[in-house]
Amino acid sequence: MIEHPKDYIKPELMACCGAREIHDGDVVVVGTGFPAMSANIAKHTHAPGAVMMQESGVYDARPGRPALSVGDACLNPGSAMIGGLTDVMGMFLQGGWVDVGFLSGAQVDRYGNLNTTCIGPYDSPRSRLPGSGGANPIGALARRTLIIVQHDPRRLAEKVDFITTPGYLNGPGARERWGLPAATGPWVIITNKGVMRFDAETKEAYLESYHPGCTLEEIRKNTGWDLKISAEVHETEPPRAVELKAIREVLDPHRMIRVYEGKGYV
Amino acid sequence: MNKVMTMQKAIAEHVHDGDFLYIGGYICRTPFSAVHELIRQGKKELTITRGNASDDFDMLIGAGAVKRFISTFISLGVYGLARCYRRSLEKGIPHKIEVEEYTNLSLPMMLMAGAMGMPFIPVKDMVGTDLMNVKGFMGEDKYRMISSPFDGSPVLLVPALKPDVGIIHVQQADEEGNAQMWGIGGDCKYGANASKKVIVSCERIVSRDVIGKDPSRTIVPDFKVVAVVEEPFASHPGYTPGFYDLDFSFGYLYQQASNTEEGFRAFLQEWIMDIPDRASYIQHYIDRFGYAQFRKLQAKFDYGFPVSYAY
Repeated sequence: MIEHPKDYIKPELMACCGAREIHDGDVVVVGTGFPAMSANIAKHTHAPGAVMMQESGVYDARPGRPALSVGDACLNPGSAMIGGLTDVMGMFLQGGWVDVGFLSGAQVDRYGNLNTTCIGPYDSPRSRLPGSGGANPIGALARRTLIIVQHDPRRLAEKVDFITTPGYLNGPGARERWGLPAATGPWVIITNKGVMRFDAETKEAYLESYHPGCTLEEIRKNTGWDLKISAEVHETEPPRAVELKAIREVLDPHRMIRVYEGKGYV
Repeated sequence: MNKVMTMQKAIAEHVHDGDFLYIGGYICRTPFSAVHELIRQGKKELTITRGNASDDFDMLIGAGAVKRFISTFISLGVYGLARCYRRSLEKGIPHKIEVEEYTNLSLPMMLMAGAMGMPFIPVKDMVGTDLMNVKGFMGEDKYRMISSPFDGSPVLLVPALKPDVGIIHVQQADEEGNAQMWGIGGDCKYGANASKKVIVSCERIVSRDVIGKDPSRTIVPDFKVVAVVEEPFASHPGYTPGFYDLDFSFGYLYQQASNTEEGFRAFLQEWIMDIPDRASYIQHYIDRFGYAQFRKLQAKFDYGFPVSYAY
């Protein structure tokens, strides 16, 4: 009998949704925050053989504190290998070894295309964002890209202002036409309201599950496109006791994950 | 040849207005001391590059030293968007810089191509996205799409980069410039080796014999290096593995200061313009925040099995 304690917060549920997408033995490129948390939950529960790397050049880090960036000092001592960008982004990612990448963005559309470049026109942006960094190559080359964003109609946009990172671009066949490797692309969109997957034929994101307490109506209203809903739509499985135990006792004893509540992940 | 000199002399003699600079670091081993000196000497019209830029590039942009930025990403990490960068692109303050956008795969590969004397290099990312649709000062030379001569598949080619000067910070170097580093590499090795000449700052100068005890750590050979500057704490508020940690509270201070133009100018005045060199910077840091805070950043010792190359 699987235990589901009731006292979880939404960011914990989202981190668990991410963890469940990681398979044992996966090679995972992580950032900080949700991605690192999800990958670590997976490692402590069903996927002990998953391994992680940071784009900055670190493989299998054993940080003594939560890393606050992918270049954090705590990633150095204890890691199994340190190189640089051409090692992780070049040899491993471009070389075809990466199973899972995690991304977020200011906007994502129905095809999983992500924007981290600008809001408004590129030449006169209302808000200038950081740019691609490692996002574009991860979205282009990882076998499964997991996207974590906050669920509102501005972020889940009908059209993103700038495609920084390729999802399925403008639909079926587009990645293939551009020569992106076969069997890569966005896998799932995890929000604070539900989980979306991509239709194998149309490559469009559809709702697979809604988080406890969220309604289909609310989710539709907060999505910038006419969101299709799976015939088998169901409630998202809440965090399991073992997952929460990993988060609270091992990975995040100071409950830093609460900062996401302040950022609107509620 | 002994190339040891002050940062003041290194920057004055080897960096000219309008130069194309590779500036290394990935939060790890950011050459902050050199960046401050560039600002102090009022260098201008610079083109700057590296993967994953941070507060040091933001400062150069805010100080008006930059004309062009070959970019992949710039932010203040946990402290959010880069303020001076935003002001430049959104409001033209102090002026609008020109940006050419690549990624953390393509740009390091372009530096690698430069280091290896290749004219261009194929990369597998960027295709299909708006990164192909925006072209800055490089125009059509930002990239080319070709059909592979081998199998006809679409291939993206990006040009090699050959900066005029590479500026890096490392743990140790000898007087001639053999530079050794360890820890997160970013694109430092290829960025430095792609450059026509290299300025090395280091935590300590060691003898050629010490370099020879662990030569696998050398990332730049002495013949490419024009200046060696010994400057402990040169990466602050970034970090150097084995020497000192990231200074998160200083990162916050910079974010708060750079939130406004006035705050940013006051920061420049206090931490760069009124400070003659790195030793004075350290003294000022201790005066402002106390010796205990300075000590707290210093790294602990954590040695492994000593390396031996003997036969």
